[in-house]
Amino acid sequence: MNPVASLSPEPKMSAIRCHHLIKRYGETQVVHAFDLDVADNEFVVFLGPSGCGKSTILRMLAGLEDISGGDLHIGGQRVNDLPPQERGIAMVFQNYALYPHMTVRDNIAFGLKRLKVPKAEIDSRIKEVSDTLGLERYLQRKPTELSGGQQQRVAIARAMIKTPKVFLFDEPLSNLDAKLRNHMRIEIAKLHQTLKTTTVYVTHDQHEAMTLADRIVLLRDGRIEQVGTPQEIFERPRSAFVAGFIGTPPMNLMEMAVHGLDGGQCELRGGGGSVRVDARRFALEGRARVTLGVRPAHLHLDTTRANGEGFAGEVQLIEYLGNEVLVSVGQGGEEIAVLLPSAAGPRLGEPLRFVADAQQVHLFDVATGASLLRPDAVLH
Amino acid sequence: MKKLAIGTLLARLALIAAGLSALVPVLWTFLNSFKNRVDIVSAVPKFFFTPTLDNYLYVLNREAVAAGLVNSIVVAGAAVIIGAVLGLPAAYALARYPLRWGNDIQFFVLSMRFLPPVAVAIPLMVIWLQLELYDSRTALIATYTLLTLSTVIWLAIPAFKAVPKEVEEAGRVDGYGPYAIFFRIALPIAARSLVGAIAFGFVLVWNEFLIALMLTTSEAKTLPIVASELSQLGRDVPWGILNASVILLSLPPLLMVGVLSGFLNAAFKRKREAE
Repeated sequence: MNPVASLSPEPKMSAIRCHHLIKRYGETQVVHAFDLDVADNEFVVFLGPSGCGKSTILRMLAGLEDISGGDLHIGGQRVNDLPPQERGIAMVFQNYALYPHMTVRDNIAFGLKRLKVPKAEIDSRIKEVSDTLGLERYLQRKPTELSGGQQQRVAIARAMIKTPKVFLFDEPLSNLDAKLRNHMRIEIAKLHQTLKTTTVYVTHDQHEAMTLADRIVLLRDGRIEQVGTPQEIFERPRSAFVAGFIGTPPMNLMEMAVHGLDGGQCELRGGGGSVRVDARRFALEGRARVTLGVRPAHLHLDTTRANGEGFAGEVQLIEYLGNEVLVSVGQGGEEIAVLLPSAAGPRLGEPLRFVADAQQVHLFDVATGASLLRPDAVLH
Repeated sequence: MKKLAIGTLLARLALIAAGLSALVPVLWTFLNSFKNRVDIVSAVPKFFFTPTLDNYLYVLNREAVAAGLVNSIVVAGAAVIIGAVLGLPAAYALARYPLRWGNDIQFFVLSMRFLPPVAVAIPLMVIWLQLELYDSRTALIATYTLLTLSTVIWLAIPAFKAVPKEVEEAGRVDGYGPYAIFFRIALPIAARSLVGAIAFGFVLVWNEFLIALMLTTSEAKTLPIVASELSQLGRDVPWGILNASVILLSLPPLLMVGVLSGFLNAAFKRKREAE
């Protein structure tokens, strides 16, 4: 059952194994039995809205927060009660957390000095990391004399130089402007390709998560909502929450009534429209209502009006995105977002008819939000 | 527009008046310290006179003044050093480690400054008499340490709280223990504000009068006590000498503040240049 059980029983040197990790502050429990195995060399991203516990879990991995319950193994060793420096980790903080009273060189060397590394080796390793990150020119400067991107590079250099078993990143790019963020994201991805160090990366930005991660751990209220590759999470969201959280523009979610049809088909009606789905793909037995999820890109203009299936409404709002336009179409008091090619040239107030790509729709339980997709259902 | 200008003018005049009321007495004291007695007691204030250094020579040549200066330096210096050595770690602990009694401790420290000094001085006088330490530098240092300690703790807590927590956490990840983080990270980062806290403690005990008056009679008298005694030399108040002693007494704190503000300016200038 448990997908992690299939991994090698002996974790490799830098694998992380979290078993039922719990975090309590007094009476309040903020992390509930967190289970996760991170394989050697893997890049795992913790993604979720603020307050979902992603940073808390990262800080528990780092040894900056006490672990209230469960077991944490890094590189095969139980590290619950070890201080940060004995866990073989290095961390990059959101606001860089450089030592403001030291030069860049001293910032990078500070950890190695503690380890009593010989000076000649410190020098050669500083040269190596500063070459990699383009910091040679700034070694004698103080952190306040650097730009945000340079400071973040120093923070990464400070983490890299210790050649840790595990890199921990706590929202490292959220203090940078959009352009620099893109640039640094690519640098981090390249760095991981080169170093292959096991990495846990916390972010609330789904774009960062999708582009960087081998696997995404999507968290909500201190619980794992879904673990999977970016593609799995995007294509087979396990709940309405995941479906709504992942993907821009966000997925349309609306409640529909279920009507059985012949030939293994079901028709879902609601929100001023209808869509026909293959009843063999979804566990619809005994359900009168479901939540329909359909991404704006999976709605298409319909000119044929073949069998009365589809949605109709008037254009309420047009957002120009370049190649595409995002159109809000009002129908039956609800609005549904549709992504159309710019060439379609929709106008405000224009009536539109469109159909959902039946292979691309998602159905969720109205109450729990759990996906109704059958586990064996094949995606188109 | 014009009304606004008049308002601004009035406000400036008020500020100038306030400034003058603070500065003129100091300036007058300074001038008088260089005057002969005749020039001081003249009915018409004299701005032009033949300056003399007699007053200063008189003050500086008195043994009591030299002894008072030594006492003041030793007592204030020791009280500030002890206050800083004990107070800075205490302030750091209160700022960083959540304690059940943390707020109560902070309030207690501050509350020591609520009491009128007399209320503290009389019991202390009895205590030092009983311990046979009355009129000793030791007793005065111990008493003043209570003042510097509470001042340093109270002013250093916000200074340590301003040190970003993540920077200390980065130190932990880099392998440093709590003591190394205090000495090598928190202390240097907070240094600027801490220097101010310590200077304030120094000025406070350097100028202290009432407690010194009650706890000393001859051996351990500090400069403020000695200076006040100069006015009791006879029926005629020796204005010149008094003024000279006031000026001399003000110099060390002024120098200290001057040196400190220079240090602070330099520190801030470095930061501004950086930005």
